[in-house]
Amino acid sequence: MCTVGGGPDIGEVEQLVAKDYECLDCKNKFKAMGRRPRCPSCKSRNVKPS
Amino acid sequence: MQISIGADEVAYLCGRTGTFAVAKTLGEFFYLETQADEIVLFTEPEDLIAASSFGIGEKVRRGLRCTIYQLRELEAPLIVLPKGHPASRRLKTVISIGPRTRLSCKIQPGTHPEQDILCGPEEFHGIEVLAMPGGAEITGFDEDSGEIMIEKL
Repeated sequence: MCTVGGGPDIGEVEQLVAKDYECLDCKNKFKAMGRRPRCPSCKSRNVKPS
Repeated sequence: MQISIGADEVAYLCGRTGTFAVAKTLGEFFYLETQADEIVLFTEPEDLIAASSFGIGEKVRRGLRCTIYQLRELEAPLIVLPKGHPASRRLKTVISIGPRTRLSCKIQPGTHPEQDILCGPEEFHGIEVLAMPGGAEITGFDEDSGEIMIEKL
């Protein structure tokens, strides 16, 4: 991941591959990329791709 | 060359015209805010958050340290500007997050699709920083081109 700090420009954003996830504990839905996903709201790792 | 980076530390590569800072992500996640979506970037505990700036000295090191601190400790979002936004030319720092970062002086900041490439000064061109347990491995760094400093984050 490469971007720019302080009002960043991430570059070719459309090339980032993000998946949709849902938290099975708090039902939060979010897009994410990377390993070891967890819910950004409740921090639970009980999440699944949706 | 291997360097040790503690959980509360930041390592700097200080060059003639630029400064590169690197710290552990500690497995934290980071928010990328695009015009259409919020994307959460997950990391492994040993991954690195790296920041590069075209400038030297205490002021620049402090700025890099603050940027890393805000992103890692305060969950500050990375706000993504659309291509050609007038604020893009005001940006002073580039960020890379992940297990590996390569520095290149031959790319335009913010325009590179290879997500592990970070723009940097000429003296850092070709340097590669790899995450390793307890620190980082730096390859391609010529000790004549700069010095390494480690400070508390």
